[in-house]
Amino acid sequence: MTDEQKDRLLDETIIKGIRSMPEAKTPDGFSARVMAGLEPKRPSLWTRFRMWLIRPQSLTFRPLQVIPVATCAVALLALAFIQTNKPISEDIVSLSTVRFVMNDTSMEASNVSVIGSFNNWKAERSVMWYSKTAKAWILEAQLPPGDHEYLFLVNGETLVPDPRAQMTRDDGFGNKNSIMFVNGIDEQAL
Amino acid sequence: MDESREDKIIREVLLGDAQAFEVLVRKYQGPVYNLMLRNVGDVDTAADLAQEAFTRAYQRLETFKMGKRFFPWLYSLSLNVARDWLRKKGRDIHVFMENASVMVRDEDRPDTQAALNDRLDGGKAFELVMQLDQKYREALILRFRHDFTMQEIARALGITVSGAKMRVSRGLDMVRHQFKEVSDDR
Repeated sequence: MTDEQKDRLLDETIIKGIRSMPEAKTPDGFSARVMAGLEPKRPSLWTRFRMWLIRPQSLTFRPLQVIPVATCAVALLALAFIQTNKPISEDIVSLSTVRFVMNDTSMEASNVSVIGSFNNWKAERSVMWYSKTAKAWILEAQLPPGDHEYLFLVNGETLVPDPRAQMTRDDGFGNKNSIMFVNGIDEQAL
Repeated sequence: MDESREDKIIREVLLGDAQAFEVLVRKYQGPVYNLMLRNVGDVDTAADLAQEAFTRAYQRLETFKMGKRFFPWLYSLSLNVARDWLRKKGRDIHVFMENASVMVRDEDRPDTQAALNDRLDGGKAFELVMQLDQKYREALILRFRHDFTMQEIARALGITVSGAKMRVSRGLDMVRHQFKEVSDDR
């Protein structure tokens, strides 16, 4: 047994000895003797006020009083719940309709798609249609607020930046992606 | 009795119901009387001093902070009554004990489990605690018998929390060393 273990064991013994130490019995009639020498206190106004302030208080309710209060509380809770959940629903309905347009007056392209960050750069999800009236390839889509990078994919092989986009961003490989800003209201490709 | 019950009693006493105080006297008369007995060693004087402690507690009850534990407050006050008496009498009845820091352990003596078990004597430990200087003895008793927190010990003894920790630790250390000395002398 190490010294440390011995000391720990001794400490336990000492503590046990203190816990179980015998106590002398208080003389008979001790409390009566104490009480006989005490005069009732005459509380000052301040003491009364202090005691009144810190007194334990109990509230009583009648069912008829509780029902309107409980109804209001439930209504407030429901309102708070709706308010708390509002941003999520707003995210869902805040999609804005945007219009991608690529001019092609002589319809040189046989097919055009929009690929971008919003469709994981997959052409099959955003195929454009040709408007003979506008003489342009057009696609309307619903996008969430924010800026979205995109390109036109012409004939499935050629990537063309949107010449009408006011902003572009380097893609890290020397090419430029067009930027579409969506601010929550219906808008068109810049 | 929980603290809120004690608060209620104290409130009643402060508002003029002196008899309510007897509940607190009955509950704490044992520890207070024994505290006095440890300090003065005489049953009659101990009873007088315990009575004085409760009377003083009653008189100063307005200064007690509601919400706190009553017992540490009462203990602190009782300890002051004992100190005042000892000071007045010019007495210091604690049994002198050698400074533990200069005690040397008998490291060479082989200590088997059987020998150690032989030492494990709660009664002996208690005797040694009773021989300690008052400041160490009361710290140990408050901590291990009355389960005071270090903050409560500090408040009761009028010292800092670090001081309370030191006294408990040093008190244990002194008893442990003394215990070994006694056992080795057997």
